[in-house]
Amino acid sequence: MNRPTEATARSAVGNDLERALDQVNAVIVGKKAVVELAFSALLAGGHLLVEDLPGVGKTTLAQALSVVLGGTWQRIQFTNDMLPADILGVSIFRRADEQFEFRPGPVFANVVLADEINRATPRTQSALLEAMAEGQVTVDGQTHALPQPFFVIATQNPLDMAGTYPLPDSQLDRFLLRTAIGYPSAAEERRLLIEPDRRDLLANLQPVLDPARVSQLIRTAAGLHVAEPVLDYIQALVHATRSHASLRAGLSTRAALALIRTARAHALVRGQDFCLPENVKLIFPALAGHRLQTMPEAGLSVDQVVAEIIDATAVP
Amino acid sequence: MAQLPAHPLPPFNAVAWTVAAFVTAAAPHLLAMPIWLAGAVLLVCAWRLAAAHYRWRPPPALLRLSIAGIGIGLIIFAFGGLWGRRTATALLCVMLAAKMLEMFTMRDLRLVASVCFFLIATQFLFNERLVYLGYLVLGSLLATIALYRIQEIRVGPGRADLAGEVVGARGGALLLVMAVPVALTLFVLFPRLAQPLWGLPDQVMDGRTGLSDEMSPGSISNLFLDDSPAFRVEFDGLPPPPEQRYWRGPVLWNFNGNTWSRPFFSDTPRQSFVPVGPRGLSYRVQLEPHERRWLFVLDFPVSGPDTATLTVDHQMLHRHPVTTLMQYEVVSNPDFVDMPSLPAGLRTLATRLPEDRNPRTLALAAQLRQRYSDDRELIQSVLSWFREEAFYYTLRPSPLGRHGVDEFLFDLRSGFCEHYASAFAVLMRAAGIPTRVITGYQGGFWQAGSQYLLVRQSDAHAWNEVWLEGSGWTRVDPTAAVSPARIEQGARSVLDAPRHLLDRDWIQNLRNRYDRIQHLWNRWVLGFDHQRQQRLLERLGLPDMSVERIALLMIVMLSLVSALLAWLVLQPRRLSPRSDAEKAWQRMLRRLRRQGFVKQAQETPLEFATRVQTGMHPAGPEFMRLTQLYCRVHYGNQGSETARFLTGAKAFSPSRT
Repeated sequence: MNRPTEATARSAVGNDLERALDQVNAVIVGKKAVVELAFSALLAGGHLLVEDLPGVGKTTLAQALSVVLGGTWQRIQFTNDMLPADILGVSIFRRADEQFEFRPGPVFANVVLADEINRATPRTQSALLEAMAEGQVTVDGQTHALPQPFFVIATQNPLDMAGTYPLPDSQLDRFLLRTAIGYPSAAEERRLLIEPDRRDLLANLQPVLDPARVSQLIRTAAGLHVAEPVLDYIQALVHATRSHASLRAGLSTRAALALIRTARAHALVRGQDFCLPENVKLIFPALAGHRLQTMPEAGLSVDQVVAEIIDATAVP
Repeated sequence: MAQLPAHPLPPFNAVAWTVAAFVTAAAPHLLAMPIWLAGAVLLVCAWRLAAAHYRWRPPPALLRLSIAGIGIGLIIFAFGGLWGRRTATALLCVMLAAKMLEMFTMRDLRLVASVCFFLIATQFLFNERLVYLGYLVLGSLLATIALYRIQEIRVGPGRADLAGEVVGARGGALLLVMAVPVALTLFVLFPRLAQPLWGLPDQVMDGRTGLSDEMSPGSISNLFLDDSPAFRVEFDGLPPPPEQRYWRGPVLWNFNGNTWSRPFFSDTPRQSFVPVGPRGLSYRVQLEPHERRWLFVLDFPVSGPDTATLTVDHQMLHRHPVTTLMQYEVVSNPDFVDMPSLPAGLRTLATRLPEDRNPRTLALAAQLRQRYSDDRELIQSVLSWFREEAFYYTLRPSPLGRHGVDEFLFDLRSGFCEHYASAFAVLMRAAGIPTRVITGYQGGFWQAGSQYLLVRQSDAHAWNEVWLEGSGWTRVDPTAAVSPARIEQGARSVLDAPRHLLDRDWIQNLRNRYDRIQHLWNRWVLGFDHQRQQRLLERLGLPDMSVERIALLMIVMLSLVSALLAWLVLQPRRLSPRSDAEKAWQRMLRRLRRQGFVKQAQETPLEFATRVQTGMHPAGPEFMRLTQLYCRVHYGNQGSETARFLTGAKAFSPSRT
């Protein structure tokens, strides 16, 4: 995949974002595209769902991200006996001054890794997902704002379905992007085997950004130029999902808006100062995949249909 | 309880389109079958629509089976068996209607819609006139739409509202339009055989009458009500004047007192040679099918098509009855003297009369013979008698009894051409002058705009030929003596009163115009036979093609046309360029295309540039640089760089680097 970074100026963004990417790429070997997607979700102000097998680096990715972003980070390992309070936090009565005191749960962090989110009961899942949507938590009638920026990386194992509660469609929609990580290539895997333990690398990682800088980057991304042809392309892709015979329903207008937002963020991550069709093309599968469903008779997976749509849509 | 079908019931719209396609395809067949049978078929269609609307289940298998059995029984009852084209198509209609009773799966719907195409094709076994082109198009359109909708159901639930139907109809129509180039290729290049592949055994006239091989009072006046075309003629040069347009058909020698008929010897091929002569006429006739062997010609035919023989009395007989539209070329010599000397056998035949018939006529003939010893004078006196006495030309003659000619000549004195021809012949024979009756057509309508002569069934006519010393067989038309207008202005001018509303002038005008289109249709579509195909190929620079070569050419052309269609269909939608930069970019793409690098529609500019670079094209780096510039201009907001890009793009030349 060609990166047009040579062609387009980084000047508007500064070097810190590039350095942050390099840091994460140093830990997660050979997954540049996934790292870019993760940063895009973050800079578009959304959340990321990683669907993959255990041991391919989901947790490492989340940890590396949280370190370079410079904020706080928490990991929640979901189980089926978990309660909403285990995530959001509880109000406890303090005997000393005879008052209720709110003890924030693990969700109060800049980066939250929600591991195996589909193991929790729907009630617990929705507690987290509401927090993701609102940016705040309400416990015992009191509202507590979550730290900004707030970024959730949730994971789930697509194969191990026993004893899980699959996320309903409406909640899947709360995740801006969904992606897999995938196995590394042979050469990259060899590097992983030879090189020092990733945990040591993580420990040596230095923060590059800070929450205020991330908020600023989010604003920068939102203001990036999107030309008419790129808008045409976005519309053509969304329209193609609506008229495709194998799909139950097409993408909503909200999804189209999310597509523009993420394409801008992706352009920023790649150091461009305007949006290219490449940006749209690269994030479209991650954005559309979990928002679409195929007809069972069609015998095609959503990913196949999405690839088909991309292949059939002309780039203006 | 009826068993639940394994599949869900098909939606109403798919059933409705299929039923509509069937009713349209079956319409001409339904009109040709007994009304109660057609009613039963339509009743089943109505039931099927109601079943689709109220979501009824299919009737039990035993009931369906017995209804199909009853259907076969009704066909045998109505047509007296299961043989013949009409019977076979009626059976197809009835069985398709029976199929509708169990048409509850996609497969059955598709089957019925597909067989509709065949049903439409069978109609052309009966009639190939232009109006059926409309029927063909409409029927095929409905069947295609039905198939399109059925297919949509399999893929996913189509929209059920009116807009959805419009989309479906448009889809079907588009499919049909795409089939047109394929159909045209097949039409032009499908190898034509001199003979049709199948014989056409039974009557196809569908109750329409044509000229018969016998003549009795009333046989021609029946035809007078039939305005349908009998044949059309194109002349090399000017057409002959109306009074010379006698289109010779059956020549009748035998008279039994009521009916004139042909003797066996009339089929004998002609031995004499007819020269073309100084006033020889060459013309082409387009003959509508009339189920008989005559090819109508002007006097006297010199030569005709290879498939026809000329008989001793100058009839032109085709090898088989004419069952499809036929074209033939004829040369005629109007000045030929037929039989300067009459053999004794023929003289006997041409003067024979039945005994004990028409005593008054015989007496008149004897009286005339006494007064005039010269044959010509005798004939003239009879004609002037016809002219001067109160003889009338009428369409509604009274029926005649045993002494028909007597009654006609002395009592009624009003009749149609066959009465005059018959009476004249009897009178002449009684006077000892050899006479025969010729039936055929007289006149015709000259379509000046399209330069052809239209002869209708209503132009049917009968006249006589008498044998005279020195001039041989000579045409005499007694009707012309009674009603000269009939000959000069055509049959319609002598009508007692307009037959019906359709005789209004403007309607006649419309009919004449329509016939011109029909003529073109006959000439270029139905008449596109082996010869015309050869001539067309010759003009295209492909002379002397054998049938095998034409078939090969057809296969090649079909592949080309299909490939072209596929290319057009699969072609991604081209967006028209909006800016100078985009135009310059597309020019660069065209230059690269000549180098073998084709940008796919779904490729972004940078993806393509990368591919060019990795493809080791020498212009790769330069192209990449320009592409990056183009992206800044096209996708970015750097309008200031447009000029730089345009200059670079103009200089870009992948072939020189």
